[in-house]
Amino acid sequence: MMSLFEAAWVIARRDFVATVYSRSFILFLVIPLVVFGVVLVTSQMAEEAQRSASRPVVAVVADTATSQAVVASAARLGAGLPRNALPVLRVVDPAENVPVQARRLLADEAAGYSAVFSGTLERPVLTAPSKVEDAVARPMQLIVDDARRAGALDGAQVELEPMALHRDIIAAAAGNLQMIRRDLARGAMGVIFGISILLATLMLSNLAEEKSNKVIEVLAAAVPLEAVFLGKLFAMFAISFVGLAVWGGMLAIAYAFVQVIQDWVTLPDTGPAAGWPAFVLLVLIYYSTNYMLLGALFLGIGAQASNIRDIQTLSMPVTMLQVVVFLLAMSAVASDSAALAWTAYILPFSSPLAMVGYAAQYGELWPHLAAIVWQALWVVVIIRASSRLFRTTVLKSAPGSAFFSLGALFRPAKAK
Amino acid sequence: MAGVLAIEAKGLFKSFDGKPAVRGIDVAVPEGSIYGILGPNGAGKTTTLRMLLGIIDPDEGHRTLLGHARPLEAAKVVGYLPEERGLYPAMTTREAIAFMGALRGLPLEIGRKRAEILLRENGLGDYVDKPIKSLSKGMAQTIQLFGTIVHKPKLVVLDEPFSGLDAINQGRLEHLIREEAAAGTTVIFSTHVISHAERLCERIAIIAGGRIRFEGLVAEARDRLRPQVRLRTRNGDGGWRAALPAGAAPINGHWEFELPDGGVEPLLKALIDGGAGIEELSIERPGLHDAFVAIAGEAAAREMEQSARSDAGAAA
Repeated sequence: MMSLFEAAWVIARRDFVATVYSRSFILFLVIPLVVFGVVLVTSQMAEEAQRSASRPVVAVVADTATSQAVVASAARLGAGLPRNALPVLRVVDPAENVPVQARRLLADEAAGYSAVFSGTLERPVLTAPSKVEDAVARPMQLIVDDARRAGALDGAQVELEPMALHRDIIAAAAGNLQMIRRDLARGAMGVIFGISILLATLMLSNLAEEKSNKVIEVLAAAVPLEAVFLGKLFAMFAISFVGLAVWGGMLAIAYAFVQVIQDWVTLPDTGPAAGWPAFVLLVLIYYSTNYMLLGALFLGIGAQASNIRDIQTLSMPVTMLQVVVFLLAMSAVASDSAALAWTAYILPFSSPLAMVGYAAQYGELWPHLAAIVWQALWVVVIIRASSRLFRTTVLKSAPGSAFFSLGALFRPAKAK
Repeated sequence: MAGVLAIEAKGLFKSFDGKPAVRGIDVAVPEGSIYGILGPNGAGKTTTLRMLLGIIDPDEGHRTLLGHARPLEAAKVVGYLPEERGLYPAMTTREAIAFMGALRGLPLEIGRKRAEILLRENGLGDYVDKPIKSLSKGMAQTIQLFGTIVHKPKLVVLDEPFSGLDAINQGRLEHLIREEAAAGTTVIFSTHVISHAERLCERIAIIAGGRIRFEGLVAEARDRLRPQVRLRTRNGDGGWRAALPAGAAPINGHWEFELPDGGVEPLLKALIDGGAGIEELSIERPGLHDAFVAIAGEAAAREMEQSARSDAGAAA
């Protein structure tokens, strides 16, 4: 009899070759890149649209001198403030009854005014609903104050030259570092989650195809069912590394290309708390455990299904649950709640993702050892549970193997 | 029973969802023999084979396969063709055969070489690099059969191997089974076509309703029925009538009855002495079909015939 790992190797080799040389593998490689590109472009566009849409428009209904002073001040301040920090100002000729004109302007949906500035710099009036207080009243106050100061300096014939700020550049600031590390944690978690879900889904369709081809009985007659499970898991794992190598290579080429054309992308000069080598290693390890946990779970589900529709029905709630787990791990990154963070570290399905966040934010390495042992234990438990599920529902029961005999402690003895 | 047993099973019992599929199966397959399991569809043949191979565990009873209580321990020297054929459609024929060998521990390179030889020897050399999905059903079945024997197993288990094959391929398969047995391989197959078992098997098990109704030599099954005598005489009446046994019945101008215990000679003498004027006398040894009817019952035999007919229809 072949050993469990020899048998798993035969299964894994077949699955690997069959998948990598299939057309669907090209789709597997291309789709994440397309999705990534589309998400990047649309999110940029949406952000831009959001910025423009959320910038309030203020009608300046005042005499010419006041209007010019206010507009000039807004232009001067806008040059030094972040984009969209100030409202858009539109000068409107004043009517006879300005308060009535202001209300009419604010009722005009096509014009889209959020507030109306009227009066003079000595007696400024802002007509606006209370909810635009922060977005309009504060910046308008800033503009009026600046306009008045400029007027006073003009009157005194004082001219101030802008004073260049001396910059003392240091490597990092704690506040920035924390922000970058949080972004790094979220980015790594998102990538791991996305690829794992993609792979688990690919594996499910593979298993469903195998069941519909009736190959599963040929396999079950020759090798232990655990070998079939392990073979499939490891094949998809190896396939994912081919994918990672291809995607990584393409990103590196794209980055180099962009840098040659123009220095568009700057990488942060600060890294994860665990340091780049340890962080990369830990990301790979947690990616592996996350994939194994998800993959085994999906295999267990796939065993119940006989076609793609069954799979979709069965995997939908699990995927939703996994999204909740992902959100839990994400929120643990920024949260001050120790309870939330510990929940994310301990729950088997959120643990790999949450620990990636931990590696990005904190430098201690020993908790990772405990987490990896904990997750590995769950990988064995989930694989065993999934394969038992498979046997009881599909092949009704098949002999186990020594590798999983530890799990036999949990099942009642059976007379033979 | 003399000789070493390739398979021995005692009291195998299996139920699915509370419904018994097989109840107390005993099987003993001598090494090097061709052994048939006969029974109508749903009799429990596939469940029995799956239990013997360890694909499923029996609820009760035990079995040994080539001396191993855990059948998978003998997997390297066992070949199995399941009833529902399973191949990867995108694989080439050579790779499919080699993969099935690899599942049984045969190195891929050797598997590929043997696959090529098997394909060429059987007139399928042009299909070496063709994907399975491009083959006809019968051809794909042949490929799977090659995959079952590519690692040169000591025991070959075939579940309904003739199902879906046309007459020519059925003949080829019979030839292949005989060749395997001649090389010392034990072959066990299930079938609902009695003629295949009758032509090929030394020993058979007859299963009906999840139970073994007979297990032993084909000759022993036949011997359960006495030979039938068919007699036509010139004289319709006379003293010779006293020589006819009690169950003799006139059918279409001749008599039919079981050969009496004393044998044919005393019967002949009595008929001649009684002035029967024998025109025709034949003694027919009962076929396996008759034995099957006698053992498993008329209903089971009818089911077998129906299964065989629908199978032949599917192959056509």
